[in-house]
Amino acid sequence: MKQCEMLVIGGGPAGLSAAIEAAEAGVQVVIIDANEKAGGQLFKQIHKFFGSSMHRAGTRGIDIGEELLQKCKDLNVEIWLNSLVIGVYDNNVVAVDVKKSLTEHELVKVQTKKIVIATGASENAVKFPGWTLPGVMGAGAAQTMANFHRVLPGKKVLMIGSGNVGLIVSYQLMQAGAEIVGIVEAQPNINGYAVHASKLTREGIPIYTGYTIIEAKGKERVNQAVIGKVNPDWSIVEGSEITLDVDTITIGAGLKPLIGMAYMGGCKLINDRFLGGWAPCHNYNMETTTKNIYVAGDASGVEEANTAIEEGKLCGVSIAESLGYLDSTKAEELKKAIWNRLAGLREGAHGTERTGAKQKQLEEYTKAMEG
Amino acid sequence: MNKTYDVVVVGGGVIGTSCAYHLVKKGFSVALVEKDDIAKGTSSHCDGVALIVDKMPGIDAALGYASIKRFLELKEELRYDFELHQRGSLYVCETDEEMEIASKYANDLHKEGYRVSVLTPEQLQEKEPFLAKDLKGGIFSEECLGINPFKLCFAFVNEVKGKGLDVYAQTEVTNIKLNTDNAVEAVETTKGTIITKRVVNCCGCWAPEIGKMVGLNIPIEPRKGVILVSGASFPICKQKIQEFGYMVSKFGMECKRPPELEKYGVSFTIEPSAGNNVLVGSSRNFAGYGTNAEIEIINMIAKRACRFFPILKEMNCIRSYAGVRPFMEEHLPLITDVEEVPGYYIAAGHEGDGISMSPVTGQLISEIIVGEETCRDIEPFRFNRYKK
Repeated sequence: MKQCEMLVIGGGPAGLSAAIEAAEAGVQVVIIDANEKAGGQLFKQIHKFFGSSMHRAGTRGIDIGEELLQKCKDLNVEIWLNSLVIGVYDNNVVAVDVKKSLTEHELVKVQTKKIVIATGASENAVKFPGWTLPGVMGAGAAQTMANFHRVLPGKKVLMIGSGNVGLIVSYQLMQAGAEIVGIVEAQPNINGYAVHASKLTREGIPIYTGYTIIEAKGKERVNQAVIGKVNPDWSIVEGSEITLDVDTITIGAGLKPLIGMAYMGGCKLINDRFLGGWAPCHNYNMETTTKNIYVAGDASGVEEANTAIEEGKLCGVSIAESLGYLDSTKAEELKKAIWNRLAGLREGAHGTERTGAKQKQLEEYTKAMEG
Repeated sequence: MNKTYDVVVVGGGVIGTSCAYHLVKKGFSVALVEKDDIAKGTSSHCDGVALIVDKMPGIDAALGYASIKRFLELKEELRYDFELHQRGSLYVCETDEEMEIASKYANDLHKEGYRVSVLTPEQLQEKEPFLAKDLKGGIFSEECLGINPFKLCFAFVNEVKGKGLDVYAQTEVTNIKLNTDNAVEAVETTKGTIITKRVVNCCGCWAPEIGKMVGLNIPIEPRKGVILVSGASFPICKQKIQEFGYMVSKFGMECKRPPELEKYGVSFTIEPSAGNNVLVGSSRNFAGYGTNAEIEIINMIAKRACRFFPILKEMNCIRSYAGVRPFMEEHLPLITDVEEVPGYYIAAGHEGDGISMSPVTGQLISEIIVGEETCRDIEPFRFNRYKK
């Protein structure tokens, strides 16, 4: 069986950062990534990062992605592409489905000392009549099509959800040549940052706050969307329906951590809406309640790329320390600095709630290990 | 919670829910006490069939057949749809030696009056065109049923909940109190005490724990089984299909099988589900109460399945799961009163036949508790078999 010291599931910002930090200390690392290119969501983030000045504000996600990949290359981190981890089994055995060609797969088992779950998150669906019609898709999927594969998903787009994903993706689809017919937000106010919203309103794109999607119409694919105003009890205000001609409906209704591997590994999970739903508990070192399984990034609670990078680094440092590549004084110093940066990143919008949720995760870990 | 019930049923799996249902039908007030939730253990980590052709001729098959008949009545009786389909089932043989044993087995069942027929390789292909072409033949029974096991548990509960049945989920039994005559007096739980004169232990693999509370040694052991789930496709099989080696593995029959398969009791089974996924099994090994599906076993099951059903090579396995089955040496469940402890009853130890035998088990327990004549001879299922 193939052996390694540290196996990282998912080569996004969290996974790459964990690998780099550990490999710099001397750990032998293998990253398993399901896609044809590692980097996760970074390569579709063609916009400049914003927020904390110490954190690459002004840098584009794609540039951070290239930088992380180059570092991995320099440090001889092994990256398996087109490879899907299908399970975490007893004795730290990880099973990988390696895609050899369109039709050929090989099942490879890897025995590792440490596992990092950096699988990211998946998009939440919103169900309404017609939601399975071709042309209805996740906002993240539309972003991948446009920014990564360079395929415009549609020409007349209605976006559901005015969070940052909904706003940024709308703007990027508009830049790529689509007409954004509107943005629908069930809440009374726009959910994302005003800086993104105003870029769209300046272009004359209507943001329908207090509205929801009622139905997607069409035979072969979607060609109309019906939206309407919502009452406080979520019923539709009679007569408020608006029918819009569209060929695409994108849903930006938030993300939830991908917890399959953590569940399989027997890690204790907690549910908190500020984490995006169920997420594994972990300690100060990002280790879950299952020994030798660590978690980082959106898989440990949905946040953004910068926190994912820091959490990944925490995993890397902790694992290097645990395997004897870093002495504990040095490791502690590094960890402290990372936690301080994380605290900084968790200020701002919903910062208190997010910090609270992350705190609960640590507390639940302690409870589980004591109980 | 300081309540009084005629009967406390411990265990919310298929046996417990069936007992609870049948007891309420007899007019008893019943508390169903479950440490986790309805259908949370073995009954949701299994496959879902009621067969004759996986039973030994004699009482085993008779109980299986009685359950099939009872299931057809329950389909009308229970308003909650538990996805019952009468599809039939098929055994296939890989070697001439297996075919010989299988034919004899089919004849024995036939003599007892069950509609079981022996098929040639050509007849096999007609019934299931995706089976491997080199098989030696098989046996077919048209009466076998497919059922959704957890919906069945909910169907039993929903029919009588609030009409004589109260469900206490997330409630663990901590002790069973006996009076000076050694008879059941009360059931103590993590949520309080329930006053009752009768307790039915329906805890399957965990029945020994509830037995110890009244000083009984119930010889049940957990035996693990792994099942794979395929992605949805067009219907690739019409019924439950098993290799005859399953029988060899289940009953430890004398027959040569590859040793690597014997280690985990691996044999091929496949059954269609309502959503056109197929469930592919199976394995049997003793590994404690853990329900991890090991990759070695998953691998072995998948390989075995592709040998019998080559089209599976083209399909994805989307999930795997394992459950523990309550194994008893004699391959006969306990459906019984206990002489030494008046008011204590056991319905457990069905191994792979819990779903299949649940209706008759519930019916028998209710008849035993009423004290009326039972629909079948219960002597083989009595706890006092260990005294002889």
